[in-house]
Amino acid sequence: MKQRRVIFSIFTMLILALVIMVVAACSQQPATEGGEKVVEVTKVVEVTKIVEVQKEAEAAVTIPEGATVINFWHAFGGGRKLLIQRMVDDFNYTHPTIFVKVENKGSYRDTLNAAILAAQQGNPPHIVQIFEVGSQLALDSGIFVPFEDNAPAWAHTEDLIPGVADYYNFGGKFYSMPWNSSNPILYYNKDIFRAAGLDPEKPPETFEEMMTVCEQIVSSGAAKNCVSWPLHSWFFEQWMANMGAELANNGNGRDARATEVYLTSDAAKQIVTWWKEMYDKGYYAYSGKLEDWDGADAIFVSGQAAMEITSTSDVVNRQRDAAENGFELGTGYLPYPADSGRHGVIVGGASLWISGGHPDNEMKAATEFVTWFTNIENAVRWHKGTGYFPIRKSSVDVLEKEDWFDRNPAYRAAFDQLLNTKPERATQGAVIGAFPEVRTIIEQAIEKVLAGQATVDEALQEAKQKADKAIQDYNKSVE
Amino acid sequence: MSTAKFKGKWIPWLFLLPTLIILAVFLYYPVIQTFRLSFYRVAFLGLKTKFAGLENYIDLLHDSSYHHTVWVTLLITTAVVIIGLGVSLAISMLANQKIRGAQIYRFLLIWPFALSPAVAGVVFLFMFSPGFGVVNYLTSLAVGHELNWLGNPTLAIILVIMASVWKNLGYNIVFYLAALQNLNTEVLEAASIDGANSWQRFWHVTFALLSPMTFFLLITNITYSFFDIFGLVDILTKGGPQDATNVMIYNLYRDAFEYYKTGLASAQSVVLFLLVVLVTVIQFRTSGRQVHYGG
Repeated sequence: MKQRRVIFSIFTMLILALVIMVVAACSQQPATEGGEKVVEVTKVVEVTKIVEVQKEAEAAVTIPEGATVINFWHAFGGGRKLLIQRMVDDFNYTHPTIFVKVENKGSYRDTLNAAILAAQQGNPPHIVQIFEVGSQLALDSGIFVPFEDNAPAWAHTEDLIPGVADYYNFGGKFYSMPWNSSNPILYYNKDIFRAAGLDPEKPPETFEEMMTVCEQIVSSGAAKNCVSWPLHSWFFEQWMANMGAELANNGNGRDARATEVYLTSDAAKQIVTWWKEMYDKGYYAYSGKLEDWDGADAIFVSGQAAMEITSTSDVVNRQRDAAENGFELGTGYLPYPADSGRHGVIVGGASLWISGGHPDNEMKAATEFVTWFTNIENAVRWHKGTGYFPIRKSSVDVLEKEDWFDRNPAYRAAFDQLLNTKPERATQGAVIGAFPEVRTIIEQAIEKVLAGQATVDEALQEAKQKADKAIQDYNKSVE
Repeated sequence: MSTAKFKGKWIPWLFLLPTLIILAVFLYYPVIQTFRLSFYRVAFLGLKTKFAGLENYIDLLHDSSYHHTVWVTLLITTAVVIIGLGVSLAISMLANQKIRGAQIYRFLLIWPFALSPAVAGVVFLFMFSPGFGVVNYLTSLAVGHELNWLGNPTLAIILVIMASVWKNLGYNIVFYLAALQNLNTEVLEAASIDGANSWQRFWHVTFALLSPMTFFLLITNITYSFFDIFGLVDILTKGGPQDATNVMIYNLYRDAFEYYKTGLASAQSVVLFLLVVLVTVIQFRTSGRQVHYGG
């Protein structure tokens, strides 16, 4: 009896160990931040496969003797990570005197945190990918040098698409090289539109049209809900910009450090009021959790909602989802309130920052890599592989000549929307030091309104107070 | 048993040295740093620091959302500990019966413990997600009504409590089973002979004899609900909706690593530390005295 028990416990331990191993392998967490997603939770198998391939690749490459080693940290997983590695390999192959060592550091926040900690220890990575709301933090950290100081003029002037170039211009200096740029667009299920008796080639353009289209979709029973998007402050910010309204004072924080946010403005109230009405009528659905990109995707892909508003960087994913689930996908612009007109969208995503304090040859090598990495042909390659749009006009020309947009109409809306954006402070996007916290405050206010726990005015008033305090606390800590 | 003695005074210290070094580097030093930083305003994980005295603590004291966080933590902790220990004791009693396949049942009951909080969180998320979760599918079939588990504050708290209780069941059951199997059966027999019914046997004998184990689990479970609940909250609710599940450890993490308020977060971890010390002391003073260690 005793022996059996011993054997059993050994068996148990073995199984436990196995379970733990499997679990450890699977515990890749979904990292969703900023304007797009970094890793998808359902892709665990793919990710592990990619990691294996990656490891093989890493093992095969040795640093050539005498080459200048450049560290490049980014926040992408999955297929994007693999694509980056391939592009970096190409660079290393064609530039034998430079060796770029590329590393994934987790989420956007993890990457920024890791870079700051490394800088504290006197050894910052040369190139860091930083998400747009981390821009003020990156500026204040004093770790980074403006890209334009070292780069040739052609790399950062005329050829960049204005909206993209504007975002990363701080105090008249072009600081970081935009890399993965995206904005929100409308995806819709043409089959549901047909079932509801709507024109499948005419997605709603304004808040008002959205309301009437939704009424028809829901009342006809074509879908349970009408539209989904994550309850994320990013969409609120984009709508503010689309209405031409600034989010923060001092020229959206670009003329001087922002000290308050305009959360009680008419534009802000109009957005939240519309959002609430959409929710109350059962037109708008979300998973109930903040910043839940996967939840919104699931609602749309499963056919529970006819439309989804989410990042352009999801074009590739949504096309695949549509093919897998057998529906026809359409794309349209981010809707706007008719009375304010369409001003355009803010560039979301992230850019590449170069840290200072390295020897001359390393600074040169880092700049050379960033310039190469975002050149015309690589911008095209990056766009096709991910759905992020190319940041160069010449790259757009190349794509046009290839009839890329005619063959892939889903990419068209993403693109035109950015090209049609009016260059003004509002669409340049706000720069706020405490942006990560302000985002949560905005999201909680909207959540409160949707749940009926506060009126639009009350919630926004409270949010403004909290956000202003957060900004002032931040400003105190860096001044 | 004879007690061997070391010849020199320094030999025991030599043996302890590796442990002491590890403790000093990875435990004591960070703790001291945390205490220090709680008196500073810190920008970007320590790139700039400015002495602020008690400002961080005063901010916490006046911050009504932080008060809310403390209450939520106490509520969830109380629920997780009471429900968790109650359910695991009941299951352990059942699993302790001599039935066919008892070993298999025991193994199956223990395995949730082997899951990481992240995985447990994702499992619960898939089950309870409104829209595509299986639980809502079943409730809509059964009663034609869907519950917004992630959007409704009360339901979200219940969900986090359920997940935490489930996640820690395995741990509690392992210890309760071990204790039950070591129980002195003579006392139970004596109680039966004296005419005690099954409830009396359980309450006056089994439960009393289990009290050292219950006390131990009480403390580990409180620590679990204070700290380890983080993973579940992060995956399930991200502290929402409307901060309903924003427990102290999650609030602290967000302030430190998402909002870069290192000084304020340090003050919060000092508060959390003191709270755990307080709870533990109170327990040793009160329930600790009633624990029956006699065999």
